[in-house]
Amino acid sequence: MEYLYFLYIELLHKYNLPEFIGMTTFPLLPFCVVAVALILVVLFLVLMERKVLAFFTQRKGPNRVGPWGLFQTIADAIKLLCKENITPTGAEKFMFNLAPLLAFVPVMVIWGLIPFSSEFDFMSYSVSALLFMTIASIPILGILLAGYASNNKYSLIGSFRAVAQAISYELPLVFVLVSVVVLASSLNLRQIVLAQISVYPFCGWFIFPAFLGFLIFFICATAELNRCPFDLPEAESELVSGYNTEYSGMKFAFFFLAEYAMMFIMCAFMATLFLGGFLSPFGFYLSEKFINNTFWAQISVYFEQVFWLFLKTFFLIFCMMLVRATLPRLKSNQLMGFAWKVLLPLSFLNLFFICCYKYFIYAK
Amino acid sequence: MIKKSLKPFRDIIALALGHLTVFKHVFKKPVTLEYPEKKLPLNDKFRGEHALVVDNEGNLLCTACGTCQRVCPSFGTIEIEKEKTEDGKFYPKNYTIDLSKCIFCGNCVQYCPFGAITMTKEYELADEKKSALKLDINTLKKNYSDSIIGERDTSKR
Repeated sequence: MEYLYFLYIELLHKYNLPEFIGMTTFPLLPFCVVAVALILVVLFLVLMERKVLAFFTQRKGPNRVGPWGLFQTIADAIKLLCKENITPTGAEKFMFNLAPLLAFVPVMVIWGLIPFSSEFDFMSYSVSALLFMTIASIPILGILLAGYASNNKYSLIGSFRAVAQAISYELPLVFVLVSVVVLASSLNLRQIVLAQISVYPFCGWFIFPAFLGFLIFFICATAELNRCPFDLPEAESELVSGYNTEYSGMKFAFFFLAEYAMMFIMCAFMATLFLGGFLSPFGFYLSEKFINNTFWAQISVYFEQVFWLFLKTFFLIFCMMLVRATLPRLKSNQLMGFAWKVLLPLSFLNLFFICCYKYFIYAK
Repeated sequence: MIKKSLKPFRDIIALALGHLTVFKHVFKKPVTLEYPEKKLPLNDKFRGEHALVVDNEGNLLCTACGTCQRVCPSFGTIEIEKEKTEDGKFYPKNYTIDLSKCIFCGNCVQYCPFGAITMTKEYELADEKKSALKLDINTLKKNYSDSIIGERDTSKR
């Protein structure tokens, strides 16, 4: 990071700008990169979801706007931007307008916590894993506000369901996270990734000792994201469209954006915890082998690390889409029972197993 | 007892197999037909837009007997103006089929004693004006020659 900072200052010096500007604008740069990257990723993700679901159901998916329908989401976004923003009568205006922002902004913040490569994690704290879980639960508050302020029964019930679901599934999620933290002996996400380096390629990934934990985490993440088969808050056969029934135009787009961005970030988090994050699955970096120039090899290693992280993330997202295409929606009582009676005990078991593993095998 | 305790494992296997089945669909050909560009092959007995049969000399086979009018279940679909030639044969001066009333049952074709009316495979019949759905004798003749050639130009009507 310091190296980057000096590069930036040098660049400014070339154009005779004072160092003061560099000092003030440098912390803002990562945020700009993050914001732009996030929106691009979400645009791509929505298209990917529609395409992949189409393939699973033997359809073709969007293929009208641009080659292979690549610009479909952009067209949809423009359509949403042009639409009227309606605030229903009887809605609590302030809260109604605050809710989409509350759902969206935390997603932007935690996006910076993911270690994209061994150098570029935009925010790196000693407790970033804990911070991630903390901020990741704030969008639920936005959903609750949306349901409360909409003056609509469907919205209210949808948001109640979302909150109940989030509370029950957060517990096993955190217990699995604890097991990973035990394995890595650190709460820093970069340290967690670095702890997965081993002599043999990809054998040190935490998915192998904590496979049960990975499954639990995957299920809980699916539930946290309100995705199929846990999409009760948006069950359209009962609740029209759940908590965002009354939202239209840009405010709806914010919810939509937050949902997909959260999905990407959760999968990136999962890849970081279990699949070795930015580590190469071959045990060495391809760019180290193929680029002779030391300086450029060093630079391209960082990009390659980002590539590996994205590849793993998209693999997990693909799995989530497969689950969505396969499983029907659960009933409300099944949902709660599954979280409290199955997943929570299993996550305890996983934690116990991991502690034994760490004490007897991994430590030696 | 053992069977009952094995149930979760069997469920998990069933779940995995279900996902596998869905995943296999990725490699299958999509069933989507992109309609305006590609069309399904039609059955030989398909009942589309009507046509009046013209023989090799360019004369209509129709004798304006009115059988089609009588067997038509939708009243007022077919209207025939009957005329007589000098040598005493009847022929239709005008023959109108109102597509907005027609139910495409094919009775007129089936009951025609001279085989003078057929149905083509044309089915894209929507139009902006209701008056354009009234087919007069010239259109019906043209439909027949077009249906023999195969391709037809729908932009003119």
